[in-house]
Amino acid sequence: MSDNETLAEFDFHGKALDTIFDDYAQMHESKPVGRSSKYGGFWYICKSEDIFDAEQDPQTWSVGPSMLLPSFGTEMPLIPIDIDPPTHAGFRKLLLPMFTPMAINKLEPGMHSTAIELSDQVKSAFEDSDVVDVSALFARPYPTIIFSRLAGYPEQDWPLFDQWIDDIIYERTKSPEKAKAAGDDLIAYVQRLIDDGRAGKALEGITGELLNATIDGRPLTDDELVSYGYLLFLAGLDTTAWAIRSSLWYLARNKEAQALLRREPERIVDAAEEFLRTLSPVQAMARTAKQDTTVRGQEIKAGERVVLVFGAGNRDPEIYDNPNDIDITRENNRHLAFGGGIHRCLGSNLGRKELVISLEHFLATIPEFELAEEEPWHGVGSLRLRLTGGE
Amino acid sequence: MTKIWVDPARCQGHARCFMIAPETFYIDDEGYGHVVEGREGAYEEENTRKAIRNCPERAIKLVETEDA
Repeated sequence: MSDNETLAEFDFHGKALDTIFDDYAQMHESKPVGRSSKYGGFWYICKSEDIFDAEQDPQTWSVGPSMLLPSFGTEMPLIPIDIDPPTHAGFRKLLLPMFTPMAINKLEPGMHSTAIELSDQVKSAFEDSDVVDVSALFARPYPTIIFSRLAGYPEQDWPLFDQWIDDIIYERTKSPEKAKAAGDDLIAYVQRLIDDGRAGKALEGITGELLNATIDGRPLTDDELVSYGYLLFLAGLDTTAWAIRSSLWYLARNKEAQALLRREPERIVDAAEEFLRTLSPVQAMARTAKQDTTVRGQEIKAGERVVLVFGAGNRDPEIYDNPNDIDITRENNRHLAFGGGIHRCLGSNLGRKELVISLEHFLATIPEFELAEEEPWHGVGSLRLRLTGGE
Repeated sequence: MTKIWVDPARCQGHARCFMIAPETFYIDDEGYGHVVEGREGAYEEENTRKAIRNCPERAIKLVETEDA
């Protein structure tokens, strides 16, 4: 296929992610705004500046019917990511204080102890076996456990959470029924927590705070509480797991980078930003044009779906020197991994801290490692590592 | 004189400024960034410059004011 034919079927889910960085290079070279026939048809936007402008302009770009394309297995709009102004601000404001750096700092002791505990488990797994899946033992449980604490969900339920995530996020392009069933289970789970809370059971964390919160002088409805719970769950778990896994994937293939971060762990903060820029869990998010508009000379009609390809913006040669090089010492890193504007990821302070702390303890505990076999850079599937015998 | 200013209409609470240069920026209870009092002139310091360069919303600006 010629380049433009490839882009005419541009996709950003599943197998397509294997070669998506090649697609981005083609976009930047030949077609920065283009049309894909996937998911009912959409325009993609790949330039960092264009994505930035769209995020700053919710009057032109609606997040309805969903920021996700295809949407998750639910009919309800997710609060607050699928809500436009003016309704959006009140819903977001409720959550803001729960995600500030100071609020997240309170979780820090537990973040360290859990990272140490899981790193130790990986270490003992390597004593029993040459090859260990650190995605299953480390990258996935870590954010799920931390999130459960923050949200006030019973911590021991986490394996259940990960199964729902698999079905809702990763099966939805292949088997929508499975995604729908898992979505229903998750909704029922959140509803049960709310029922318990309404019946007088003390609820911890965000769930408890939202139950007592008011918006426009009234308490939140069950539907609103469920929507919040559903979104936080989907936004907070697999994204961070993916970021940890993809960072370890990179380090397994780059022993020099591993050595540098072991020798100078204070560099992990900048390295984490570079992993987020280049291997980000959220490669793209959708909008809908509210009126006829033009992006980089391309007319877009009211009602048409548009995908902001953050992952491509993060590799825009106009913004970054050697955009495709993963340079863990890069200091200028105004990337789009958490989006921007009024819908920027509320959990970014949490996600960043989880990524940095988990990498710190993993590298401090596990000696030099490499991939046991080729694995894709993306997703939350296995990451099978072996130790090299080096330091 | 030149002062650092965080544009409240732009800031979305990424908190990059505070993580990079906590001596110059602080975050309020809702998560939005502000310049620490007395640090408005610290725009030439390396950490502050790095914070400005890394603000995802480009909300940190240098503004000219008349007062000394």
